[in-house]
Amino acid sequence: MPPVILRVKEAPTGVPLEAESISPDLFADRSREEIEALPVALGNESHRLGDFFQVEGERSDQIEVDGSIPRVKWVGSGMTRGRVVIHGDVGMHAGSYMRGGEILIEGNAADFLGVEMEAGLIRVRGNAGHRAGAAYRGSKFGMRGGIILIEGDVGHEVGAYMRRGLVVIKGNAEDFLGARMAAGTICLFGRAGLRTGGGMQKGMIVCMHPVELLPTFAYDCIYAPIFLRILFKGLKRLGVQPTPQQANGLYRRYHGDLAEIGKGEILIPA
Amino acid sequence: MAESVGVKEVKVIEGVTCPFCGVTCDDLVVHVENGKIKEVKNACVLGKDTFMHHLEGWATPRIQGKPATIDQCIDAAAEILAKAKYPLIYGLDSTELQAQRKSIELADLIGANIDHTSSVCHAPSLQAVQTVGISSCTVGEVKNRADLVIFWGCNPAEAHPRHPSRYSVTAKGLFTPKGKKDRMVIHVDVRPTPTARMADAFIQIKPNSDYEIFSALRALLKGHELDQAEVGGVAIDEWKTLLEKMKSSKFGILYWGMGLTMTRGKYLNIVALLTLTQELNRFTKFQAAPMRGHGNVVGMAQVLTWQTGFPFAVNMSRGYPRFNPGEYSVADLLAHGEVDAALILAADAIGNFPAKMAEHLRSIPMIAVDPKESETTKVATVVIPTAQAGIAAGGMAYRMDHIPLVMKKVVDSPYPSDREVLERIIAKVVAMKNGGNGAPVRAGGARG
Ligand code: SF4
Repeated sequence: MPPVILRVKEAPTGVPLEAESISPDLFADRSREEIEALPVALGNESHRLGDFFQVEGERSDQIEVDGSIPRVKWVGSGMTRGRVVIHGDVGMHAGSYMRGGEILIEGNAADFLGVEMEAGLIRVRGNAGHRAGAAYRGSKFGMRGGIILIEGDVGHEVGAYMRRGLVVIKGNAEDFLGARMAAGTICLFGRAGLRTGGGMQKGMIVCMHPVELLPTFAYDCIYAPIFLRILFKGLKRLGVQPTPQQANGLYRRYHGDLAEIGKGEILIPA
Repeated sequence: MAESVGVKEVKVIEGVTCPFCGVTCDDLVVHVENGKIKEVKNACVLGKDTFMHHLEGWATPRIQGKPATIDQCIDAAAEILAKAKYPLIYGLDSTELQAQRKSIELADLIGANIDHTSSVCHAPSLQAVQTVGISSCTVGEVKNRADLVIFWGCNPAEAHPRHPSRYSVTAKGLFTPKGKKDRMVIHVDVRPTPTARMADAFIQIKPNSDYEIFSALRALLKGHELDQAEVGGVAIDEWKTLLEKMKSSKFGILYWGMGLTMTRGKYLNIVALLTLTQELNRFTKFQAAPMRGHGNVVGMAQVLTWQTGFPFAVNMSRGYPRFNPGEYSVADLLAHGEVDAALILAADAIGNFPAKMAEHLRSIPMIAVDPKESETTKVATVVIPTAQAGIAAGGMAYRMDHIPLVMKKVVDSPYPSDREVLERIIAKVVAMKNGGNGAPVRAGGARG
């Protein structure tokens, strides 16, 4: 099935464009004219998708955005199938509430990437902003499943309130990585900011570099977790290659946050 | 409500509410002579200055820097707002409830983002309460019952001068008849402040270690032993002593300030604090409350929550309220350069914001509605002076513990009130277009 290609006519620079209609679910059964007529919001004004993008192709759940759209929000939000490729940056809320399919962002992603997603895969070649895979304010849980793979750096509170799923970060993270997480796995290859795992209940954070831990994390033992070997095998398929040392070596295990129920784990190479 | 005072007469107005800080003292006595304030009794220096200097630095009506009439200014403001695709309405805390309510109506009408000055001071507190809830009480309960008062990252001696005497330190109440002698006061901060002088104990902590300390206190409260010998630069044993004091108090309260909300960790600092005080309720009655700054900051959050469901950072661009700090909060809207017009009411945004944010405000059409000249009115496209709420305009305000109080009008002003200005802008916008910018407008205007 040839993809629908969206060529950026006029990328918004100031006022953001909210385009949750850029979603494979909506493109799959629509003709080119119908795709062009899909609604988008420029601030408080209603427009057609065709006003901002030149649409090529039709009736496909494969979408390619040919250019950078850092001011376009909600791309692929709630999608359940298909694939969205963005050849550039993307705005806030990309892939939030996602329930299936794949998003590939070749540039950077803004804040709230994949927030509260339930399934599917999001890959970012560049950096991602704050709160990727976390929860919207007022929600009890963040990401509930699926995988977010970020090759660059991320902001703060990434994976906060996570309930299940996997976040892999090849670069560095800012403060409160996995804060208040309830379950799920975060794998950080770069360096962490402060207060990693603050308020975590359960779940696991693997940090490949030494971390300054909160006083409410307690050291347990050094061991070679078998689980990690299985995880890394899966990561290889996504193109993430841990060093043999990381893949087979020993890890120090800490548990916490003791201010909460303290059943979370932080693993750091020994 | 005391009406305006006639000229050539002396009038003594009792029970006046001070609009300056969150303590919202409602026992002021104001002497007015020939329409001028001559004397203010019972107020602290800050409150007194607010009344005595209220005639100084008045703003004048202007468009593009040129003198104009109020009517012309209102027309110009309405035109800017009706055309805007993603406007911002900001400020709003130093005014009264009905004006605040009108600002929300306007936001709804023009599909705006609406945020208030709390967004850059105590918004993290609001977020934290949303996340974990709060065990709290009024200042009256503190006065009558509290035998342990902790001031954490706040400095009431300078910022809320009458809070200690009216409610929290020397105040005498039902179960605290000896005032200060019946209370233990503890001050925790990164450096000694004048509040330390009125406290029985001062604990100096390392900057940006509050989250670690609250977490450690919570773990200790649960009976865990910690590996560290100290947290936040203070020995664990000292924290254990503090915990014992908290547990053995009859009625404890922890007041926090911007030392917690605006430092690294922000709302998660408060989440940790609130959970600690909630967990202390397994042992005794323990509360927490924010020390709110300006007169009616609490009011705006109350009205906004009552009208839209959310306390700050609300967006109406799609015709219904959405809440997302980090996106619709004033700092982020300006830092990302998203808004294309702004109405700033009773706040000096340009003077108080970092350069980058102020820069964006300068680059867009901006309307300043303010009784006084400020850095913001100096560069605003349209300046609309108003009667100062609580002095030259009456209304309601919320005290920092969410108690509504009446603000009186003690003198006249040649200018309309904030509420009247907003009402007239709304009427003008409705007349000019009916949803011409795509914002949904119901028949008869927006909800009131
Ligand atoms: S403490 Fe605050 S409210 Fe009371 S008089 Fe002083 S400034 Fe006004």
